[in-house]
Amino acid sequence: MGNVIAFRSKDFIKWADGVLEGVLRRSPVGSGVDYLTKDFFNWATRNSIYPLHFGIMCCALEMAVASAPRFDAQRFGVIYRSTPRQCDVLLVNGPVSKKLKPALRRLYDQMPGPKWVIAMGECAISGGPFYNSYSVVPGVDQFIPVDIYIPGCPARPEALIDGFIKLQKMIKENKKGLLTGK
Amino acid sequence: MGERGTRFLPEGMERPASRIDDVPEEKVIRSLLDTFPSTVTDFKKLGKGVVRARIERRDLYRCCKFLKDQLGFEHLSMISAVEYDKRFEIVYHISCYGSCLLLELITSTPKDDPSVDSVTSIWGGANWQERESYDLMGIKFNNHPKLERILLPKDTLYHPLRKDFKGGG
Amino acid sequence: MWNNMGPQHPMTHGLWNLRIKVDGETIVDAEPEVGYLHRGIEKLCENRTYTQIIPIADRLCYGSSLTWSHLYCMTVEDLMGLEVPPRAEYIRVASIEMQRIASHLMWLAAYAADLGAMIGFIYTMRDREVFIDLLQALTGSRITYNFPRIGGVAHDIPPNFERDSLRACDYMEKKLKEYEDLFDGSKVFMMRNQGVGVFRKEDAMNLGVTGPPLRASGVKYDLRKDMPYSVYPEMDFEPATHPDCDCYARYRVRMDEMYESCKIIRQAVRKMPKGKWRAVAPRNAPAGTGLGRVEDPRGEGMMYVVGDGTDRPYRLKIRSPIFVTVSAAKKMLVGYKVADVVAIMGGLDMCIGEADR
Repeated sequence: MGNVIAFRSKDFIKWADGVLEGVLRRSPVGSGVDYLTKDFFNWATRNSIYPLHFGIMCCALEMAVASAPRFDAQRFGVIYRSTPRQCDVLLVNGPVSKKLKPALRRLYDQMPGPKWVIAMGECAISGGPFYNSYSVVPGVDQFIPVDIYIPGCPARPEALIDGFIKLQKMIKENKKGLLTGK
Repeated sequence: MGERGTRFLPEGMERPASRIDDVPEEKVIRSLLDTFPSTVTDFKKLGKGVVRARIERRDLYRCCKFLKDQLGFEHLSMISAVEYDKRFEIVYHISCYGSCLLLELITSTPKDDPSVDSVTSIWGGANWQERESYDLMGIKFNNHPKLERILLPKDTLYHPLRKDFKGGG
Repeated sequence: MWNNMGPQHPMTHGLWNLRIKVDGETIVDAEPEVGYLHRGIEKLCENRTYTQIIPIADRLCYGSSLTWSHLYCMTVEDLMGLEVPPRAEYIRVASIEMQRIASHLMWLAAYAADLGAMIGFIYTMRDREVFIDLLQALTGSRITYNFPRIGGVAHDIPPNFERDSLRACDYMEKKLKEYEDLFDGSKVFMMRNQGVGVFRKEDAMNLGVTGPPLRASGVKYDLRKDMPYSVYPEMDFEPATHPDCDCYARYRVRMDEMYESCKIIRQAVRKMPKGKWRAVAPRNAPAGTGLGRVEDPRGEGMMYVVGDGTDRPYRLKIRSPIFVTVSAAKKMLVGYKVADVVAIMGGLDMCIGEADR
């Protein structure tokens, strides 16, 4: 006698996904829940941006100082996390060498969505003073999509906090519901 | 200015003179000339306690061992590789903890055979510096424990600091 | 089994990879890997004029960038045979010692944060701002200064600089006593540091390690005293050493160095003579070689330049103290636990920008 009622785990996941698709995502129930909760979740997301503990070069010192007592980025909700699985923002703050490029791409892929990328400093925007070196990638947007560019060499801590505020405004303008994604 | 005070002196080394450009430089030059008469040439006092000497590459290992064991040159500071028209020059900067003297030892290799003996067994600090010269300039060090690329990715095919490499800068 | 710690790891300041082989919790073998920050600076410098390289030399080690640009200027002055006016030398020494204090405070902040004492991070970063403000008034920038020039410095000191520096030194000495109470009185900090990462004197000398790790193993070798440069022969200070060879000794050596730097700053700003702050340097350098050595906060930094008569260097070779100290990491790590890696490698004060160039 075969199993008539019990599912295997893969089949169960497919069935559950199908139910969610139908009931929640496409039907009016999903849109209704999104309409009620979209603003709240967006407010929570933009006020708790968690960047990754990733310091490459000189701008990393200014990133560390931005969470120090004088400039205090934590009042905007910015707390650095050590693992990419818990982060929203990848803050690239230095020149990316060809040896680092696969590791950085892997870090970006390991971050769960929704995620953003901030390119801090001239080296991440376009290669900086080392733009024509044989071992520097001229700009991190060659292989990762970038949302905010913060110029400066090095970018001052006030500029970094300004960048975080611009990111908060950007998140507010692109409100997306959690269930339907619209 | 404070007194020099107690400082570690290697065995057999005399008390350092109180002025830098005094006895120790002459002593080093004389010992090198006595021990390696045919291969060590071209001494030059560059001032401020720096002495330059040239040596042929076949005697490099013996000379470095002599410098460390007999004359007390304990500290290898830097190994540089420079490419000229028809030769490579490898420059060793070696200093002595006790007598504040810096020796600049230069050896050359022909362009088509850039290889010298490794001094890693004499000074352990030469390990990574020789790997870096191999990585960026392509100089091979014989008897090195692990001669691999260190700064560039392991599958790079070029040596970027050579003059015929045009990319970069 | 080999494990990778890095290149992205909250402990690694700068990106480098540490491969360790563990047996349970004990480390059996270790192999550091560098190269993730390689920018090809030595090749870049062959296509820039001598003055255009000064900002690039700043970005070698961003924790103590004034030391590296001064070292570069000293090396080129040695090549050109240029004499620097005395006022410029005193300004250089005062700014280098302020940079040394700022660099050691940055190290202490990161070290305390890694060992879990977040309060250390908060206090030291606040006090580092005092010296960064002084350096900003002097040079115009917070971390990469572009201040020295070949033949002197870029401009004269601002008004009230002497008064502000003396006040900053007094403030710093009071705060250093507070830090000693904070850290030496913490039982956890002492347990994590004493007896951990013992690095014997013979190994330190053989492996070419310089700077605080060497002086913490009992060897009194400080380039500012042994092969003095600039106006250090006229300054009265003592290099700091410590006989235990562990992490606590390295911490102690750096704290003592901060006291000595305060002494040097006081002497430099009081004895500063009047006069020019910059000598005119020729555009083309003669053919020949130049050598410069400084005592960087992390060890012995050295540069070797080969000139060929034009206005660009033919070859510039940079010796980084951290490159050699990281290669000696294996001797310090084997036999200790995985949790000690943070204390041992943090105590070496690594700024990987200068190791990778």
